[in-house]
Amino acid sequence: MKNSIKIERAIMGITQEELALKIGVSRQTISSIEKNRYIPSTLLALRLSQLFTKPVNAFFELEQEDEVLI
Amino acid sequence: MNLKSIAECERRNLEKMKRYRLPFGYKKIGILVIIISIIGIIINKTSIDDNLFAQVGKYGILLGLVLISLSKEKIEDELVISLKMQAYTFAFVISVILTLTNPLFTYIASIIANKPMDIFKGMGDWQILWLLLSIKLFYFEFLKRMSR
Repeated sequence: MKNSIKIERAIMGITQEELALKIGVSRQTISSIEKNRYIPSTLLALRLSQLFTKPVNAFFELEQEDEVLI
Repeated sequence: MNLKSIAECERRNLEKMKRYRLPFGYKKIGILVIIISIIGIIINKTSIDDNLFAQVGKYGILLGLVLISLSKEKIEDELVISLKMQAYTFAFVISVILTLTNPLFTYIASIIANKPMDIFKGMGDWQILWLLLSIKLFYFEFLKRMSR
């Protein structure tokens, strides 16, 4: 799964530290999410969605290997 | 109280237990307990008294490790909880493997030392718990650094 949290954060003009504070996690967690090392929970994804005022799909995207074959 | 509400109450209590962590300050208490225990063991080495200090010190080290292990980080978020769970799993698997392969290591050591040893004596409860908690703590710190 890839994400564009870094871009969204740049649009808002806030640092990792500020974003972390707004959604109640550590700066390390934001850094891990941005580097695709950690996939956040639904709760955190929804908090980010609320903050960016965008649906979760707008900044989280499934990659080909993540997609389920129907 | 009907059966459904009892089950709901138990489920809530289990959830609370699952999420329970000691405050961050307990980490420092844990370190202090370990230091005092090690000092106790060193004192025991120099005294002619029985091994009371050594025995208490050994369990003190375990208590200290448990306190550190159960205490919260400065910011305890979902990433930290996930890393802790990974560290517990890794420590458990490694401890089981080391316990199972212990007779082999003892056998190799007996050949190298050219001294007969009881290869099926196994590890004691203290050694296993110490190993498990130490691996958990070191692997958790390693994962934390890796995730930066």
